[in-house]
Amino acid sequence: MVRIGIPRALLYYQYYPAWKTFFEELGAEVVVSAPTNQATLAEGSARVVADTCLPVKVFLGHVLSLVGKCDRIFIPAVRSVQNKVYNCSKFLGLPDMTKAVVPESPPILDIDIDVNRGKRVLYQSIYKLGRHFSWNPVKIRRASLAAWQTYLDYREMMSSQKIAPPEAIERMSGAAGEETGTASTCPDSTRATIALIGHPYLLYDEYINHRLIHRLEQSGNRILTPEIVAEEELEQAVKKLSGGAYWTYEEEVVGAGGYYLQNGTDGVIGIMTFGCGPDSLMMDTVRRHAARLKSTPFMCLTLEEHTAEAGVVTRLEAFTDMIYRKKRKELEICV
Amino acid sequence: MRIGIPHMGSLYIALKSLFERLNVDYIAPPLTTQRTLSLGVKYSPEGLCIPFKLTLGNMIEVAELGADTIIMPGSYGTCRLGYYARTQAQILHDLGYDIEMVQLGVSEQKFFGLLKIIKRLANNAPWPRIISALRFGIKKMNTLDRIERAVQKVRAVEMVKGTANQVYTKALDAIDRADDYRKLKEVEAEYTEQLDRIDRNPEAKPLIVGITGEFYVVLEPFSNFDVESELGKLGVEVRRTTFTSEWMKFSLFLNPLGINEKDRIHKAALPYLKRDIGGDGWESVGEKVLHSKEYDGLIHLAPFTCMPEIIAQNIMPRTREDIPVLTIICDEQITKTGMLTRLEAFVDLLERKRRVGIHNRQAVTV
Repeated sequence: MVRIGIPRALLYYQYYPAWKTFFEELGAEVVVSAPTNQATLAEGSARVVADTCLPVKVFLGHVLSLVGKCDRIFIPAVRSVQNKVYNCSKFLGLPDMTKAVVPESPPILDIDIDVNRGKRVLYQSIYKLGRHFSWNPVKIRRASLAAWQTYLDYREMMSSQKIAPPEAIERMSGAAGEETGTASTCPDSTRATIALIGHPYLLYDEYINHRLIHRLEQSGNRILTPEIVAEEELEQAVKKLSGGAYWTYEEEVVGAGGYYLQNGTDGVIGIMTFGCGPDSLMMDTVRRHAARLKSTPFMCLTLEEHTAEAGVVTRLEAFTDMIYRKKRKELEICV
Repeated sequence: MRIGIPHMGSLYIALKSLFERLNVDYIAPPLTTQRTLSLGVKYSPEGLCIPFKLTLGNMIEVAELGADTIIMPGSYGTCRLGYYARTQAQILHDLGYDIEMVQLGVSEQKFFGLLKIIKRLANNAPWPRIISALRFGIKKMNTLDRIERAVQKVRAVEMVKGTANQVYTKALDAIDRADDYRKLKEVEAEYTEQLDRIDRNPEAKPLIVGITGEFYVVLEPFSNFDVESELGKLGVEVRRTTFTSEWMKFSLFLNPLGINEKDRIHKAALPYLKRDIGGDGWESVGEKVLHSKEYDGLIHLAPFTCMPEIIAQNIMPRTREDIPVLTIICDEQITKTGMLTRLEAFVDLLERKRRVGIHNRQAVTV
């Protein structure tokens, strides 16, 4: 059986269940790299020029960790998934860049996803990907439809049950129904509701963000993430803030930011990495919006390889303390 | 309506004559200086590239002079540039300037869309006048670029360094003042002759260095510390394929007809980079491959945090066609001395390589 390696980085959090279904339907085995650790990041960043952004370095680290464990590596080049909305260059150049900087990597399966070039081109490229496993177009079609259905289920599961991608992925892959407690622990004693905005590969990679969600939850806060907002709401917020989406994953940042700033949260934290092209503009849009509203506190945490854990903790504490004080004051005024 | 447009190289000269012929109140932003950069840096989000910061600086300076409409070129695509106009409009608004931002996107509005915008900006001037003004503007741009090409050749071999640059400055001024076709022709002839008359070193065999990279930093001398003149001083002949006039010609007239000058470059890049990654990343890789026989070395200019160029920078050292590549990252932190040192080292390396005739397998990345 062919083993397909999927790095646990970047688009993994959005599409992994779909990819898994697709490859398994076609009779391949899927291997996922282990969660990010120090070695992943160090090895990944040793391969590229220093200016490359953190998520890409992490991604390459994951690719390196898969060398020898699989026969092919799946790296899609996602150009666009919406009409006239494009993705960052780094996603487009990913397959070629990986080939250039990780020469020892297993053969790369790449696929161009570009809905702007029409359905036909899209179907053709999916077929081309499927051809690596089967000559039978019907089988490939069935696999891709199953993958699409899985993707829809996955999104539906996250927004209806209000859970985060890692948990949803876990539930979908079999370990369903065991512990359901994590997301809804002690709702009465929450000290504050804090929304996190940013790309899933930053929010759910515990090594890069220094277990941010865990930390906040432990100190008694309720955490909201972009996935649990309905898609229409996100799109509406994007339209309001920036007049129509420009980047493929804009709703995770601008959409969620715009939504949470006005929908009953006590604070919003934006997570971005240094050198991220799209985020540098999108976070700024959210920040400007927050400054204009003057209602919900907003903080932007910029992550990079050198971010010391203590620095992140200090900023988090300062931010949450400010929120608690604000809430206490409001209570006093009410009384 | 008073129109302002941020600077890019000598483009303002052509724009000025275009708007003068249309009787539009055009304010050329003050030439880019340290103040422009400081203003831009001060009000920009920190992670943005130098083109954003410099154009924002130009915008603020032109707004101070009373412009109320600012044109920002940049179209939809994978590069951030298409988003800049929106953010810059917000920043200017927050600074208290009441400005209408017009985004000129060549690749999405196409030629006719562009004409429509110009017509609106020109207070509905009759079409013949718009066409003739455009024609004259393009003519000026072509003249500017022809002179610049000649200057690039002379700089490397002139006996007294700096003579060509002096002539060039005067030529820019004269072209700026020329207000009809005949005058323009005379000016061009005069300055081409002056350039020809410059004393040249007959024994000089200049090294040939190509310049590639992101469009704006290649064309705006302020952002790259005039790397071309500096190379000229070191006795190096500069070649580049990016010129405003060429770009205009193709993106406005020939690309819609299916002729693309970059096809050759893209084809060369294919083994290493299979798809367009936005900006000029594909071209950077392609030019290295395509000109590896022709050039002695390549200078790759990229703004700090530029997404496509980082990809290109990562891929470039791994191509089989190897010529030395020096990547210069342009941002507000770069200093002239730092850049000169790197250029000198690079040119020394190229000279040595030519002298010894060895094939140095290692590409240089700084």
